[in-house]
Amino acid sequence: MKLDPRTKLFLAVVANGMIFTAPLVYSLLMVVVTSILLLLEGKWKFVCTFLFVYIGAAFFFDLMKNLDIGTSGTIILASLFLMYRIMPACVVLYYVITTTKVNEFLACMSRMHVSNKVTIPLIVMIRFFPTVFDESRAIGNAMRMRGIRLFSLRTLKSPVAFLEYRLVPLLVSITKIGDELSIAAVTRGLSAETKRTCVATIGFRWADAVVWAYCIVVVVMFLLRN
Amino acid sequence: MNISLKNISFSYSDSLDDAILENLNLEIRSGECIVLAGESGCGKTTISKLINGLIPHYHSGTMDGDVFLGGKNTSDMTLAEISRVVGSVFQNPRSQFFNIDTDCELAFGCENLGMDPEEIKQRVENVVQEFHLEHLLGRSIFNLSGGEKQRIACASVAATDPEIFVLDEPSANLDLKTIADLKEIVSRWKRAGKTVVIVEHRLYYLRDVADRICYVKNGQIAYEWTPAELEAKGAAYASSLGLRCLNLEQLREGVVRQAHQPCKVPELVEGPQGSKELDLAKLSIAKSIVFTNLTFAYHKKHPILDIDRLKLPCGQITALIGHNGAGKSTLAQVLCGLQGSWHQKRAARKRGVYLIMQDVNHQLFTESVLDEVLLGMKPQDEKLALEILEGLNLKQYADNHPMALSGGQKQRVAIGSGISSGCDVVVFDEPTSGLDYRQMLAVSVMLKKLAASGKTLLVITHDPEFILNSCQSVIRMEHGKVVEQYPLSGNENQLIKTMTGKL
Repeated sequence: MKLDPRTKLFLAVVANGMIFTAPLVYSLLMVVVTSILLLLEGKWKFVCTFLFVYIGAAFFFDLMKNLDIGTSGTIILASLFLMYRIMPACVVLYYVITTTKVNEFLACMSRMHVSNKVTIPLIVMIRFFPTVFDESRAIGNAMRMRGIRLFSLRTLKSPVAFLEYRLVPLLVSITKIGDELSIAAVTRGLSAETKRTCVATIGFRWADAVVWAYCIVVVVMFLLRN
Repeated sequence: MNISLKNISFSYSDSLDDAILENLNLEIRSGECIVLAGESGCGKTTISKLINGLIPHYHSGTMDGDVFLGGKNTSDMTLAEISRVVGSVFQNPRSQFFNIDTDCELAFGCENLGMDPEEIKQRVENVVQEFHLEHLLGRSIFNLSGGEKQRIACASVAATDPEIFVLDEPSANLDLKTIADLKEIVSRWKRAGKTVVIVEHRLYYLRDVADRICYVKNGQIAYEWTPAELEAKGAAYASSLGLRCLNLEQLREGVVRQAHQPCKVPELVEGPQGSKELDLAKLSIAKSIVFTNLTFAYHKKHPILDIDRLKLPCGQITALIGHNGAGKSTLAQVLCGLQGSWHQKRAARKRGVYLIMQDVNHQLFTESVLDEVLLGMKPQDEKLALEILEGLNLKQYADNHPMALSGGQKQRVAIGSGISSGCDVVVFDEPTSGLDYRQMLAVSVMLKKLAASGKTLLVITHDPEFILNSCQSVIRMEHGKVVEQYPLSGNENQLIKTMTGKL
């Protein structure tokens, strides 16, 4: 199912608003709609993993929050809290980034009369994230081959070294790739001055209406809850 | 459109003292196809950047002289204006896509030029037909092979229909079949009257297409030949200039001649097991390493890799050839335990197979070359590590940061870490892509040394020159299966025929 990029942006804004300001039940409402949208994209594995971790974290947080526990317990509690509060926001972002094509996004921005000077850095970001994951996976492979694992005695002894092994090659390669990507873009005529056209057809469909309506209802419920 | 470079001097730094180009003059006529050749670092890529406007508009540096495209000075044009007349294809297929799916990428250039959407659709349809891309439409670029990406890159540049094409080592990641396609693309552009400038190490596929080969040395055009002139001078002349061969037939003759001379056994590298006394002759007849159950699939119905049994002759260099997307890289990953089921991974760990990746930057982690070799060693033994580095000519760099080394040195550091982790089998993923003749020879010598020390080597490669230089046997894959396996000596013809079929 294809949603208009503007709908996705609206969804992301409402979801983040609910997740960070409203009581848990509102953020749950947003989790449900995002999960459904991801399922419609065929990402059932991702959704299952997410829901499992999310519900688990929420459950244990609820279980532990009234217990009298020491410092280490507080750290666990805090990380559980982060997990179930931050994760939904990340999942919404994941949905928006993985399902929006660069040119759809460009088209929607120009419909909304956003300047190229704002849009171009944004699409570079969209393009950049998957590349970073790709590079990171290759480096992870190389590390596994050398027997450097996250859960090992060596990592426990020197966690900083583990991070360094992971980050140094990543930084080197993404700096290079970032540079090459901008070269690719400018030699293909992407610039802030010229007006560009777009072949992508964007527009509102009934699915967009449903998502908009749902989001608006959630917001209104939140505003009228007293 | 003609291109003219007048008295160009350029340096990437603030002064022209260490200029990479010095007072260079080059006239390219409209409709001409020229090749810029030369050793790595000679400045040929810099010339291509002058033509597509990246110099002076993107890279900073000091420039003297003028570049004219059809009479217009590039320093008076903006990059967007230059991109209307010059289309560029680059070497690295991973980073020349701005979009994450193929459809958008094909339309991207046209959209930037502000063409009418209907016109763009028509143009995209045309290039899809011309370049035979029907099966690549609607795919994510992260699931394409290097060759497929390069074809999309050529097509998306062609869609904007520029007058000049600049290609920077376009064949570096391509198999020979795709190179044949590339040759076809270039000759189509030439027939349409376009001006084509190609920076390239591999020359043989351009033999019938290029009008001129310009040899760049010390920042100037040192020689100019037509392909026929260069060919007449012979393979030895070309390799003395560090050029790859122009004619694979010449190459084969060279190899056959060499075979009649007594073969020199390369110096031995002492591995961690102290394998100096290995009897080479015995090894090559008798032993081989057998791998079983090499299968892999994302979806059960479409196996990417399906090999029951793979035999690698011990202490030899085996070339693994096959088209882009035949499953060679997947085989390498399953062999090394990076992909596959839990069983396969455990078997791989037990066996000890080390992969030297195509992009070695991914596998260098530490702060010094010595640490890099020590990292995988159990127990860590500094003396042994230094010995390994000595064998790889890296001892003087022991305290340097790996990222500060040259490409070839990085590759050797990665090999050193493979040796130190005690692996018996080393898999190389395209170790010679984008290398000039001398560099390729250096890799070849090193691999021979490694094999002589008792390691078993499997080399994924599309480089016939390298195979004929270094390998003892050949495995060919197709659709995830091994279709052929034969010793190289005596079968050189067969190799060249399968590899160059269409050229």
